[in-house]
Parts: sequence; structure tokens; C-alpha cells
Amino acid sequence: MNPATANHLDLTAPPVVKKISQRSLVVGVIFSVAAVAGIFAFPNGRDQFYRAYLLGFMAWLGVALGSMAILMIRHLTGGGWGMVIRRILGAAMRTLPLLALLFVPIILGMKTLYVWARPLDAIADKHLREHLEDITKTYLTTNGFFVRAVIYFAIWNLLSFLLSMWSKQTDHGGAPDNTQRFKAVAGPGLILYGFTISFAAIDWVMSLDPSWISTIFGLVILIGEVLSAMCFAVVVERILFNYKPMSEMLKPDFVHDHGKWMLAFTMVWAYFNFSQWLIIWAGNLPSEITFYLNRLSGGWGSIGLVLAVFHFAVPFAILLSRPFKRDIRKLVWLAVWLLLMRYVDLFWIIEPNFSKTLSLTWADVVVPIAIGGFWLAYFFRNLGALPLLPAYDPSAGEVLEPAHE
Amino acid sequence: MKRDPIYGIMAEFDSAQALIDAAKLTHEAGYKKIDAYSPFPIEGLAEEVGFHHDEVPLVVLIGGIIGGLTGYAMQYWMSAVDYPLNIGGKPPHSWPSFIIITFEMTILFAGISAVFGMLALNGLPMPYHPVFNVPRFALASKDRFFLIVFSSDKKYNPAETRRFLESLAPRSVSEVPS
Repeated sequence: MNPATANHLDLTAPPVVKKISQRSLVVGVIFSVAAVAGIFAFPNGRDQFYRAYLLGFMAWLGVALGSMAILMIRHLTGGGWGMVIRRILGAAMRTLPLLALLFVPIILGMKTLYVWARPLDAIADKHLREHLEDITKTYLTTNGFFVRAVIYFAIWNLLSFLLSMWSKQTDHGGAPDNTQRFKAVAGPGLILYGFTISFAAIDWVMSLDPSWISTIFGLVILIGEVLSAMCFAVVVERILFNYKPMSEMLKPDFVHDHGKWMLAFTMVWAYFNFSQWLIIWAGNLPSEITFYLNRLSGGWGSIGLVLAVFHFAVPFAILLSRPFKRDIRKLVWLAVWLLLMRYVDLFWIIEPNFSKTLSLTWADVVVPIAIGGFWLAYFFRNLGALPLLPAYDPSAGEVLEPAHE
Repeated sequence: MKRDPIYGIMAEFDSAQALIDAAKLTHEAGYKKIDAYSPFPIEGLAEEVGFHHDEVPLVVLIGGIIGGLTGYAMQYWMSAVDYPLNIGGKPPHSWPSFIIITFEMTILFAGISAVFGMLALNGLPMPYHPVFNVPRFALASKDRFFLIVFSSDKKYNPAETRRFLESLAPRSVSEVPS
């Protein structure tokens, strides 16, 4: 018998999901209008818009792709922690078609964003021009950029499609046991994700400064994405925790595990960033060190310090506490904080490519919120479309059985 | 110091669930100094015998902090005080290059603290333990589950405690000589 009906638990998402979806859409529309108005209101509004757009796009793409990665980890490891947020991760993953659509403005703004996409004659720096003449014939070509983006989105959407399709089957009685299918896709899927996000990070972010190379950069972006996704899942589970069925399903043990993931991802984020910094600092080569020189001068250094302290040190110290990790009401605040830090981190990676001194433009705030409004509207629509737990999945019982205490 | 000739009274059970239920009832009956033995770890048993505060994490944290400080201080003394070398034109006290060893020393000291802290808090190594005076206790490594009420417990009374343990339907009840 289905354990859900045995517990008389209705697994459909609460109506608040629909309300948040509608409000997000309103926020998305209002901020889009403001963003478009900004393009015309400011002297270099167009430039500012595209930079901020890339920032916002990378931030929200991170939540979707990170969710897919965590979902695949769960399919490989099992565990109640993953079952209880499975549909949250799934709904975030199923926003990937929207993100593919949202990538179009980056194609349109390519010449504004990327120095290598513009005519090379205009570049004053002789060394950079010679370097670009070489690389724009082979890798960084306009067509290559476009074709590779199509490939990334095709792979991500295919993975998302398969995982969602098999998950939906387990909502109804008589469903096949898809555990092995999930495993067969999740293993190679995680490897594919590692490769595609590395290439995407190089294409979309690292190539903003085409003379700079860092081999760990893809992983820096990757770990930021999974951290964003875990924090986002914690925030959504907190909202749902006010209502049935999440109030019955979410136990302190699961929240504890989510807190442990946040701690692990925060540490790995610091580890990757420090590795990149240490190697470049020790080598001190002109072609590499410019990345940090640009980001530690002109006021940008203060942002770097904020990241070291508030993206790593303070969250790390707080997350060591066991009672803190077990209490969703406390953990959610750190999750919100870390999501904000994710924005600051991407801001610190992207913006210094365009501005020598620290500057936060109107667009940097408005455009990511505009994208977020549409993204959240779609996410909460997805979340409401399916029950919050695939009741006929073999591991659903772990979540539905009553707590020990 | 005069030792009590009796260490405690021990009851033997057939299953993990029986042991958990018995531990719960014993703890609720007011016996605070009790312990349980099983052939494998049983989830929730520690809570039932009244064990709530695990102090190993604190020992590990202190060990880690000492390790980190030691690692940094060691490198500072070597590179900046005792034998300064010009490496890549960097100042003798270059903190970024110290971080890896500091981190490794943190992990090393934290790991060692975890092992030795656990042993110390458990009172190990312990060459003599009275529970082994009961011949049947050898089965605790095989397929039996034991619950003991120590004679040092305030509520302990040889006859009454024995009667109480017998009411829990154990397989056997034995007195443990110390």
C-alpha cells in the first residue's frame, strides 16, 4: 500500500506556491521595465545592462544547474535528505528551458560584452591584439560561442528531461522502479555537468578577460552553483515548512544533512578560490596576476575581503554548530545570506573586467532581480505542478515514516 | 578506598528492541547510572541510557585550533625569524604560502585529538572491567544484549533492583562482582 495514503497525507504543494509564482512574475515585469528604462536613461546604459544581465543570468543559472547536480548526487547516494527536497530541486532543474531562452540577450550583446567579439583593430594594447588574433581564429569565434552554447543547453535539458520524466512516473501506483535508470543517468550526468560547466564558465565569464587563464576557474563556478542550489532549497523548504505536507516530512535529521552540505560546499568554495589565488600569487606572472591586481585595487579589494570573511569564515564558524544546522528556522537565515554572497562573488568576478574602480550600477541591482522574478515565477509554477514527494518511489518511505523522537 | 564488592546487576536480553525498551523503562524508573552492551551499534540506545552530551567535538575543535596556531607559528619562526630566505622576491613573512601547512596541521591535530580524546573520555585502555566477571557476558560480542545498573546508583538496592530487572522479562539476571 502507498505509505502516503496510509498516513492520510496530501502531497500536493500548498496554494501559497501559486501566489508566490504570480507575485514573482509581477516583480519580474516591473523590474524588466525599469531595466529597459535604464538602458535609455543612462549615458552608457546599454553597456551596464549587458554586464548586469550576464551577472544575473549566471546567478540564476547557478541555482538551476546546481539543483540538477545535487539531484544527481542524491540518485547516486540515496538518503532521506535528498528525498525531502527532491521536488524542489526538480522544479529548479526544470527551469532550464527558460534559461536557454534567457541566454538569447547574451548572444545579442556579445559585441558589447566580449572584447574578442569586436574588431581587433580597435585594440590599443599590442600584446593583447596579437594574442587575440591567434585565439579568435581557433576557439573564441562567434560561431563557436553560439554552437557551444547550444550544445551545453542541449545536454542540460536532456538530463533534466530524463530525470523529470522518470520521477513523474513514480507519482502514481503501479509505477516501475526507476532507481537503476536514475543511477545510470546520474553518474555520467555529473561528469557531463563538470565538463559542460567548465567550458561554459570559460566561454561566458573567463573570456571577458581573454588574456587571463585559470584551469580551476570552471570548478570555482561549479562549486558556487551547487552552494547556491543547496541554500535555495533550504529557503524553499522553510517556506513550505509552514504548510502541509512539508511540515510533516521535514525532520531535524534532514535539515541537519542540508546544513552539512552547506558547510561542505562553503569549505570547497574557499578551497578552490584559495587554490586559484595561491598558485597565481606564487607564480606572479604578468598574464595571470592581472586578475587579482584588478580585483584588489580601486576599492575592489574591500569586496574581496568581504567575500573571505562573510562568504567563508563567518558561515563556516556558524555551520560548525550542530544545534544550528538542525533548526530550519535558524539555518534559513544563513542560506539567505549565502545566496546574497553568491551574488557578491559573481559581481566581484564579472564587474572588475569593465571597471577599474568599485562601482555598483543601477543595472547591477535591477537586472538580476528582473531575471529572478521571471525565474522564480517559473520555478514556483513547476513546484506546484507535481506533488512534493514522488509517493511511489521506493525511498519515499524514509520521508513519510514518523520521526524517532 | 574501600571498593563495593558488587559492581552492579546485569540483565540479559534477546533482541536490540528488547534492550532499548528495557533501558527506557529503567531510566524512567529513576536509575541514572546504567549502561548497555550490544554486539553492534543500536540507533537511539545512547539516548535511552541517558547519554546526551558528546564531548568529543569540543576536544576536536580545541585540538584543531591548537594545531592551526602551531603550524602557523612554526612556519613564521622558520621563514621569518630563524632562517629567512628570499623566495621569488616575496617577503619572509608571506601568509598565503603558510596557509596550506597551517590547514594540514589543523587537520592532523584535530584527527589525533578525535582518536585520543575518544579513548580518554571512554577511559580506555582499560585492562580490567568487572562486567567480564559474568561468564555469559562473552555473548555480548555475539548475539545477546545486556543492561547493567551500577551499584553506585543512588536508587540501587540489591534485592529491589534485581526484582525490577526481572520484571522486564530478561533472559537472565546476574550480579556482577567487582
